[in-house]
Amino acid sequence: MIPLNDIEVDSVTKCFEDMVAVDSLSMSVEKGELFGLLGPNGAGKSTLTKMISGRLNPTSGTIKVGEYSIKDDPMKVKELLGVVPQDIVLYDYLNAKENLSFYGRLYGLSGKNLKNRINELLQFTQLDEHAVKRHVSTYSGGMKRRVNIAAALLHEPQVLLLDEPTAGLDPQNKHALWDIINVLKKQGKTIVLTTHMMDEAEELCDRVAIMDHGKIIALGSPSQLVKKVKMENTITVVPDKTSPSLIEQIKSLSDVKNVYSAPDECAKSETLKVITDCPDDILPDVVSTIVSTGTKVLSVQLSRVTLEDVFIMITGRSLREE
Amino acid sequence: MSLKRSLNQIAAIAKTDFLGVIRNKTAIFFTLLFPLFFIIIIGFTFGQSGTESMSSISIGVVNFDGELVAVNATDSFNCTIGDQFIQAMESVNFTIHEYAEYGDKDTNATATYAISRGEIDAILVIPANFTETLAFHYVNDFGAPLPTKAHLELSVDPTDTTGALITQQSVLGFISGFVKHYQEIAIQQAPSDLTAYIEVLADPLTVITDEADVTENELQWIDYMVPGTLGLVLIWSGLNHASMTIATERTKGTFQRMVIAPVSPMVVLLGKLISALAIVYMSAFIMLLSGVLLFQVNLYWDIPLIILAIFLGALSAIGIGLIISSLAKNEEAANSISVIISVPLQFFIGAFFPLTMMPEAAQVFGNALPFTKMVNAMQDVMTRNLPFDAVVPEMLYLAASGLILFALGTIAYRISLKRL
Repeated sequence: MIPLNDIEVDSVTKCFEDMVAVDSLSMSVEKGELFGLLGPNGAGKSTLTKMISGRLNPTSGTIKVGEYSIKDDPMKVKELLGVVPQDIVLYDYLNAKENLSFYGRLYGLSGKNLKNRINELLQFTQLDEHAVKRHVSTYSGGMKRRVNIAAALLHEPQVLLLDEPTAGLDPQNKHALWDIINVLKKQGKTIVLTTHMMDEAEELCDRVAIMDHGKIIALGSPSQLVKKVKMENTITVVPDKTSPSLIEQIKSLSDVKNVYSAPDECAKSETLKVITDCPDDILPDVVSTIVSTGTKVLSVQLSRVTLEDVFIMITGRSLREE
Repeated sequence: MSLKRSLNQIAAIAKTDFLGVIRNKTAIFFTLLFPLFFIIIIGFTFGQSGTESMSSISIGVVNFDGELVAVNATDSFNCTIGDQFIQAMESVNFTIHEYAEYGDKDTNATATYAISRGEIDAILVIPANFTETLAFHYVNDFGAPLPTKAHLELSVDPTDTTGALITQQSVLGFISGFVKHYQEIAIQQAPSDLTAYIEVLADPLTVITDEADVTENELQWIDYMVPGTLGLVLIWSGLNHASMTIATERTKGTFQRMVIAPVSPMVVLLGKLISALAIVYMSAFIMLLSGVLLFQVNLYWDIPLIILAIFLGALSAIGIGLIISSLAKNEEAANSISVIISVPLQFFIGAFFPLTMMPEAAQVFGNALPFTKMVNAMQDVMTRNLPFDAVVPEMLYLAASGLILFALGTIAYRISLKRL
């Protein structure tokens, strides 16, 4: 029978001497799912991914990738997996093609097959044909990241482990990599994405597991997790003047739960706080309603509940706190 | 996993590792160019020393050949061949000083007095029966030549060990050439019915020295250095490279990425071994080639034996390197440990100067090193033209130590896999 899940982690514990890095953790990742592992440094994310990739053996528990156990069939599991490490793991003295050729040969590719696959991936990751002939040491951070990902895709793995793939990238390169990850998801790859970037997890992941102290402390889709937080999304608008009728007009808009006004010392005016579940959707309506009364909008700000808020609510501390 | 796939993986790992040296300026300097610079410096510094310019070698000759000696119950004082022997030495540019007496260091105008003051490099004593023996004067009752030996005594300056080695080998080389020439003449001049007998008899000279080795080549100082440099190649290229390879890859994370691929750890190890061997052979080739091209080294080239000895020696060097590389915390630690081990080690292998100059404990330590066995074997084969039989003990020692150290390196490597 073909398994429904590509990754099954069952009661896995990993201890380093006295320290428990992963504590009796169970989870599963469905076929074609983009699964986020979120948590602060030391939460156990890297230890878990190292165990899934076969770099570490669990102290107890079992891990299956596809239909194979990592303990009993490590080589078959490795064939199924493509791993993109957090660091740029490439040979500086080789060019992109040579690096890809090396990793391709480790996965059993050779000859024309390997050459074609390298060309496909260079195109897929939008690496310039001329640039790839230079040594990797001369590449920008974004180019290195793309080669780093291409190296994991050579053998067309079913399951991808991406460990903070956009760490240290500027917004432009980060979004370019998100596009690549989204394409991979559309291709049906099962992806485990380790990150501590909220926007990344919210943008990309179907489901997110928040880890802390070696355990999963929350699991669900980003929207499900956000709903657990008893906070509200807010649109804060500063018009040059307000009136009770304007407030009533805004209240009458669909999806607006409530509107409060409060004095704004900076603008020497009143600030309107619009409470809603879907701030992105109704923002244009709120602004056009205000403008239609002949009132100018001085500023607009969206305050949404994020996964960061979820994490703070659950653990009482920020994701980036050491 | 198919053999073809494993071979493809090994080739990929070996190629990438090898390119890491070839494309790294620092690595290429220390692995390949440093040995080249070394041989050039040695060659230009000492290359002119030796029998090609033998006027720099002064020999004190004590010629007893003219003294009375009993031959077939008759007194003889023929000195013809002794004089010719001395002339032949002068003709190849040895500087000859003749002395009437061997003497002692306190008696002026004797050979020992001269050598004790550094005026000559060696004393050669020609025995009283030199001409009589070489001219087949010793005969039996029927007039047939008797097998007789003339013992040349060669004493070198014990205070200059390296110079003594050169002088000794130069004189031995000359004597060997002289004997060969003498044999040709003796056999040519012998009556046809005695030719076979003379062929047996015409080896009348023995040389009494500390090391009675004979080479027919005329030797220079660099001829002794080149076989020794092969031992240094093992340390510089084999040990140093192997000590960095795993540690560097582990620090950069490429090793971890290799391990998460469907590659057996032994495949990775074999790839690394092949690369390290290629670097050692390349380094050795550069060293030998530069010796030949730049300094016309005059050596014997038993290529299969040289290749085998380098392989066995390299196993030891790579084994030690693997232990360092696997157990070191990171690249920097591996580099430090490698330097701490390899720098002193090179002085204990007899490449720069003979081990006999060192204290006894150091000699014991040096003689236990596989690299010393490698240097000894290569000097025997390349300088003294000894056959494989003569270096079997060294080769067995190299094979055993190579296997043991490489096995220990493999164990350390496997332990290091648990620390990823």
